[in-house]
Amino acid sequence: MPEHQISMVLDLNKCLGCQTCTMACKKLWTDGDGMDYMYWNNVETRPGQGYPRNWDKIGGGFEDGKLRPSEIPTKEDYGQTFEYNYAERLFQGGPQAMPQEEVRNTPNWDEDVGAMTLGENYYFYLPRLCNHCTNPACLEACPRKAIYKRAEDGIVLVDQERCEGYRYCVRACPYKKIYFNELLGKAQKCIFCYPRIENSEANACARQCPGRLRFVGFLDDPTSAVHKLVHVYKVALGLFPEKGTAPNVFYVPPFNPPRRGSYGKSVLEDPRMPMDYLQYLFGGEVIDVIRRLEGELQRAQNGSKSEVLQLLIGRDDQVRYQIPKHGDLIQLPGGRKA
Amino acid sequence: MNNRREFLKLGALAALGASIPGCRKAETPALESFTGPLDPLHAYPYRGWEDLYRKQWTWDKVVRSTHSANCTGSCSWNVYVRNGVMIREEQAGDYPRISADLPDYNPRGCQKGACFTEYVYGPQRLRSPLIRAGERGEGKWRKATWDEALTLIAGKLLDNIYNYGPDTNTYFSVIPAMSPVSFCAGSRLAHYTGGVFCSFYDWYCDLPPGEPLTWGVQTESCECADWFNSKYIVLWGSNISQTRIPDAHFAWEARYNGAKVVGISPDFNSSMIHADLFLAIQPGTDAALALGVAKYIVDHNLYDAPYVKEQTDLALLVDKRTSRFVRPPNVNDVFFFQDAKTGKRHEAPGSMGSKEKTIALQGADPDLHYSDGEVTTVFELLRQKLAPYTLESVAETTGLALNDIRQFAHEFATRKPAMIIHGAGTNHWFHNDLINRSLILLVALSGNTGKNGGGFNHYVGQERVWPERGFRAYAFPEGVKKQRMQNMTLWTYTHSSNHDPHLYNGKPIEHYIDESVKNGWMPLYPKNRQQKPRALIVWRANYLNQAKGNEYILKSLWKDLDLIVDLNYRMDTTALHSDVVLPAASYYEKSDISSTDCHSYIHPFNKVLEPLYESKPDWEIFRDLARKMSQIAGERKLAPYHDEQFGWDRDFTKTYDAWSANGRFQQAEDGANFIMDGSPETKGMTFEQLKQHPQRFLKIDEEAWNSDIREGQAYTPFQHQVENKRPWRTLTGRQQFYLDHPWFLDFGEQLPVHKEPLGESAKYPFFWNTPHGRWSIHSTWRDARYQLRLQRGIPIVYMHPDDAKERHIQDNDWVKVFNDNGAFVSKVQILPGEKRKRLTMYHGWERYLGFLQGGWQSPTVIKIKPTQLVGGYGHVNFRLNYWGPTGNNRDARVDIVKYTPTAADLRTIRRAGKEQA
Repeated sequence: MPEHQISMVLDLNKCLGCQTCTMACKKLWTDGDGMDYMYWNNVETRPGQGYPRNWDKIGGGFEDGKLRPSEIPTKEDYGQTFEYNYAERLFQGGPQAMPQEEVRNTPNWDEDVGAMTLGENYYFYLPRLCNHCTNPACLEACPRKAIYKRAEDGIVLVDQERCEGYRYCVRACPYKKIYFNELLGKAQKCIFCYPRIENSEANACARQCPGRLRFVGFLDDPTSAVHKLVHVYKVALGLFPEKGTAPNVFYVPPFNPPRRGSYGKSVLEDPRMPMDYLQYLFGGEVIDVIRRLEGELQRAQNGSKSEVLQLLIGRDDQVRYQIPKHGDLIQLPGGRKA
Repeated sequence: MNNRREFLKLGALAALGASIPGCRKAETPALESFTGPLDPLHAYPYRGWEDLYRKQWTWDKVVRSTHSANCTGSCSWNVYVRNGVMIREEQAGDYPRISADLPDYNPRGCQKGACFTEYVYGPQRLRSPLIRAGERGEGKWRKATWDEALTLIAGKLLDNIYNYGPDTNTYFSVIPAMSPVSFCAGSRLAHYTGGVFCSFYDWYCDLPPGEPLTWGVQTESCECADWFNSKYIVLWGSNISQTRIPDAHFAWEARYNGAKVVGISPDFNSSMIHADLFLAIQPGTDAALALGVAKYIVDHNLYDAPYVKEQTDLALLVDKRTSRFVRPPNVNDVFFFQDAKTGKRHEAPGSMGSKEKTIALQGADPDLHYSDGEVTTVFELLRQKLAPYTLESVAETTGLALNDIRQFAHEFATRKPAMIIHGAGTNHWFHNDLINRSLILLVALSGNTGKNGGGFNHYVGQERVWPERGFRAYAFPEGVKKQRMQNMTLWTYTHSSNHDPHLYNGKPIEHYIDESVKNGWMPLYPKNRQQKPRALIVWRANYLNQAKGNEYILKSLWKDLDLIVDLNYRMDTTALHSDVVLPAASYYEKSDISSTDCHSYIHPFNKVLEPLYESKPDWEIFRDLARKMSQIAGERKLAPYHDEQFGWDRDFTKTYDAWSANGRFQQAEDGANFIMDGSPETKGMTFEQLKQHPQRFLKIDEEAWNSDIREGQAYTPFQHQVENKRPWRTLTGRQQFYLDHPWFLDFGEQLPVHKEPLGESAKYPFFWNTPHGRWSIHSTWRDARYQLRLQRGIPIVYMHPDDAKERHIQDNDWVKVFNDNGAFVSKVQILPGEKRKRLTMYHGWERYLGFLQGGWQSPTVIKIKPTQLVGGYGHVNFRLNYWGPTGNNRDARVDIVKYTPTAADLRTIRRAGKEQA
């Protein structure tokens, strides 16, 4: 176990689906060759196919303590990375500008689609990054032992020198958040912006998030927002807890408005978004969390202050991020991961 | 291959050189901490490589700048430079906090701002002046020198002035607030050469005409931090999660602070998913819903009577016989109410003709309900007008559930403060003025306008130039009265083959246009109706791509113009269809300033790098063009041109001297400083100061705005009226819901009313909906590869699954969308949240990208609403971007069929993209 565990909480009721996080990450980390198709951070519409397509249905993670690897997703599952004939069209009298191949899939193919029940549409946005798991399946699967968990902050990294590109990690990750760079022959993944974290700067995806839905800090720091949201208020849950990797990225689960004509009823009583879908993603505990959040929201809307919602407002950076300099980590109160 | 990618590729390869397969060096791990079998879950000894990523997060220089795309964002960014290349941008995130209670504005930005650097080095970038070498739009060019290009343009502009009149030269640039110095560079040239300057805010239908009509203002909205002060937020035709990305958080955070959020939209869009109540309204029935709520408020006595009596015209007396306000004989601008205290008629203070400069009632008590044989009140007329809007009938009209509407009406009236956030979803209808007025009525009846957290707040277009006075002085130095101003809707309609077949009270729109021009209500250039516009200069805009009636314009106006000039950093559709294209510096290569409705700060554009390639900032291009005109005028020994309209002898040998104020303006920063120095909002600030961090405005110009900037408070408009009792800027001096202009009476629109959308639903069953979306700001970023890879790569039209099934259309099929105006062919996406019998395509797609035919504006035709041509009525007079016909488009109807690509299409699809960018 690492001495400290950095963590992120994402409030899905604030997510705009704007993909600024995706772009921030792309421009900072995955703009190099062999990385076009990689989005270490992506945002997908749920229910939906996800990125890579069907990642949640193909396996990965642990079952009975044993790795259950999946197949490696195909290039098309990840989405095409097309270029355009702009120079030809705009400057040389060429034909209509088009992608170089007919587009059949992209990482955000079913944006805003969701699903329907009883004739009514429901969906939400799910931003995803590496979960920097406490029990990382990728690490377990690497025959080269080139994946490790940093002692000082729990960030999981692929050693870009020692990785041999066997791709066992890609198969093992239940979230499909490790990518293979064909050009370099290396596995690559979200590094939780450790160069920034080491300098007390929030991750690019968090700091650039205009929806301000990301909270970053150490789970074992009792003063941190992430600690409070996960352990004190208990309003944030990890994705697919049954996959056995103990993820360290947590989500405040989403509401949708009531169905037509049902204004005033509880989302548990008459939900637009079926609760079994949320249970599929976040486990059985999500019902309690939804009940708690709904109660807090009612309380706020009836004129009282809700402590947890006041925290989730996240008025400025200081409220959302508690990232001590790495040199100061040792002084964190609370000791090991709670 | 662009510089940036080349650079990164080398960087990455160099950094990983040690580990590329086949050239591996011997491992030299640091083994100090390695004391047993390798267990990477607990300890890992080979961590020296981690510097790889640390190096990637380094830079040589950071420069603050922003973007100028008319998004209302006005977001301050840092641009990072490494090895002389702009590698990425990140929000500066340093807007000062207004108060401890209000969430701050950081980090303002969006995914588009986060990758503007793509355009800086992209394949669309204009690198040198180009002169057309093929047909317009074909994309064949020859490279020209600056001197050759400017000589051609300057010569032609002068030819036109002397041969056909200065009003055959037309200038179009949008939204000064987003970069006023760049805007003014061209407006000053238009000003000193007598050119026609066209409007944009009304033409793009961003102007809410209900605001000039009711309030006598162009647009007045609270800054977005004020949303947080609300307890009831109604998103009415505004999809903030997509179109107000930097600000949407205030609404979702307000919800956690006790607000309820109601979403009103036909589709279950990205904002509706977070609402407490979603009202899936039938398109075009918004006024009916608002009037139903108004009736509920009136019937249940839930209106704020003291507010209504003082702040609105509802107590004013109307003559039953003429339907005109009761006025003194031969006086147009004095009005009366019946004083309930004295039982006598009382002059209403604060109207345009009143001697009193206050609307304070000073003890009088206007009787809202007074009626006798001859007169009645606006309130009573309103009550009659509202009679048909029962909740039951509204439920039927709007397709909403009765329970939902009733609770909405009750909550709206009782939860305070309540605000409407209004957007283009409702503003783009033909009857936008009626919809606006109905919604404004709600916030007036409930007493919410002029209060923090309340009001009708319209955000479409970045029209608010906070330092307005200095801007005006810089843009049109001799005064707006000495500038030819033109409503663009009218100009485009008149000079193209756009034809609206609809009859209005039995008469074609041309009848009303002629009347309006004849009455001097609306200008129409060229004044000599025998003349046609000859030259069109476009900068900071994509006129052609965005124009309603696209197919007509291409076939007529575009053929009639004999010089089209475009200043641009990228080859957009207008540039592609121009004769001369001048390469402008990008947003990161020039100096300018930025402001918006959405916040109360000013911040700069800066030269991150000197202009790339042969590009120049717009400011320098117009400077050089002014110089060239003077030079040519001198060479041709042109005598001054006597401009009869203004009695102005224009000596073109002096154009540059005038433009530069005799050399006072040497660089763009001088313009920025002039604007700031000339405006109370910014007086004392300097351009240099802005480089530190965004600065909040200091105070306001009372001539321009209606509330003060208050320390520790979010700006909200109309506090001067509501708190200080100053008259509203209308004929009656109040929020004016009753308009007794004869044309309004003729059309039965003296009070707000719901009218059905126009259009032939029998022939064309689908509404054609082209809202603003998340992936572009108008056409900017529409062709940006990073964005497109997160969409479907080419334009898509959204369709409800049941409609698709009926027409045997499947997801990702090619489809043809058409009506009598035109057609386009694109891909389709099946979207369950879409409304039935409506098709949606987010607007702004460039015509040259992805369509197999036409473009998204092909099915539209310009439709002018007769009542928007009026003038000569108190506060209702033409003023650029304040009052004039809007270029609405939401009433268009279309049909859709599956499309099978032809052999030629398939060749296009296959051939394209062979060239790798």
